[in-house]
Amino acid sequence: MGLLDTEPGKRRLLAVEVPAIERYNTGRDPDFRICVTRVGGGLVLAYALKPCYNVYRMETRLLSSYPIVPPETRVLTPLKHCPHLLEGQTMCLWRQGSTRAASRWDASQFTCVFAVVAAWRWLLCYEVWHETGEWPLPEAK
Amino acid sequence: MHLFQVGAGSGGIAVLDLVVRDPRVTRVTLVEPDVYAPHNVYRYLFPPSAVGRRKSELAAEWVRAIRPDVAFEALAADITDPARQESFARLAGECDIGICAADNEAAKFAFDALMRAANKPWTLGEVLSGGIGGWVHRFAPGGACYGCVASHLQREVKEAPSAPPPDYSSPNATQPELTIPASKASIAVIAGLHACVTLGEEPNPPTPFPKKEGGAEPEPKDENTPSAPLSPPSFLGKGVGGLGSSPHAESLLFSLQAVPGVFDAAFRSRRLRIPRSPTCLTCGAPAAPAGDALDSAVADALARLGGQ
Repeated sequence: MGLLDTEPGKRRLLAVEVPAIERYNTGRDPDFRICVTRVGGGLVLAYALKPCYNVYRMETRLLSSYPIVPPETRVLTPLKHCPHLLEGQTMCLWRQGSTRAASRWDASQFTCVFAVVAAWRWLLCYEVWHETGEWPLPEAK
Repeated sequence: MHLFQVGAGSGGIAVLDLVVRDPRVTRVTLVEPDVYAPHNVYRYLFPPSAVGRRKSELAAEWVRAIRPDVAFEALAADITDPARQESFARLAGECDIGICAADNEAAKFAFDALMRAANKPWTLGEVLSGGIGGWVHRFAPGGACYGCVASHLQREVKEAPSAPPPDYSSPNATQPELTIPASKASIAVIAGLHACVTLGEEPNPPTPFPKKEGGAEPEPKDENTPSAPLSPPSFLGKGVGGLGSSPHAESLLFSLQAVPGVFDAAFRSRRLRIPRSPTCLTCGAPAAPAGDALDSAVADALARLGGQ
């Protein structure tokens, strides 16, 4: 679709993604708001999350092919190697072929803020895993 | 009648061959970027000697040979190319019906956006991996979009292709295919159904599956979906707004093989009427400005969010 170089992509950005980000940012502490930067044909969302004890610097990339292709989220704060963490500290959030509703990216139902919330949930699991050695959510099916 | 088709792969060329023989068809515009490759040969219309030529050129020669009276325009282009969206939008506006035989989600979404903007009906054919069966979908103006259908069917989009890295030392070498190829026979069956649905020729009412087919596709979600027959009107017979503002996309799933967990039996059909989703972000997004005003509004929004 071309997020920043086609009419449908730009309309999606303006009518769906931007209002969702603005709602997320409203009333939020400035350090935890989403800041958007244009990089090439896509966007980078920079923000911080504090699921429990620790603050994590985060980056979610919306590629030019977004929303057809899911956003990619990585943790900039160094993490201990753990399950569901891919190369470059990229979170494994959307399992290919998964039939579990929460493990499947749906371009027609989700906005980029869904990816931010999914990252928050992932970090919460990470903190539980760090303390207990158990990842508290089941594997995607 | 003007057909606007995207995709002339092994399925697309078979659909084109069938629909262009209909005497109502007087003009065809085809968009196909690829080159005929060695692995295409055994399920295509063209001989090995055509390898290396553009599929759009081969399709043009084929159509001109069997229907010299049809005005045929072949564009060696990618339907997602941002630089060509204006000309694609013009073609969508000029056509009477669209045919999508593309094999990737980006092209399907792009074609859906073009046809919705032009308020034109279109059909989509998809052969399942390995040729175990296939889908034919029919979309009407104002009805469910491809996003509604993909969401309803819980479709996946791969984040990155699982292909091996390209061999830069031998760029023309044969590359292994990414999916399990279907046979020409199975492609021909689905292409035949796709052509029938496009031309408005309804196959006989199907015998419904006795039970759920397994995990590949979900059960219908509401009372509008179970085994309802496809609406009888023909897109071509009724002309451009033949289906009016039907809120449903109509989908035909046809099995060609019994596959445990997917299809109980071969040669069974299942029909779905997929409703337009009121929460779909693809077709239900709020209105936005167009042209320069859109560019300006996007720039303003990004500047606002960049300064948070």
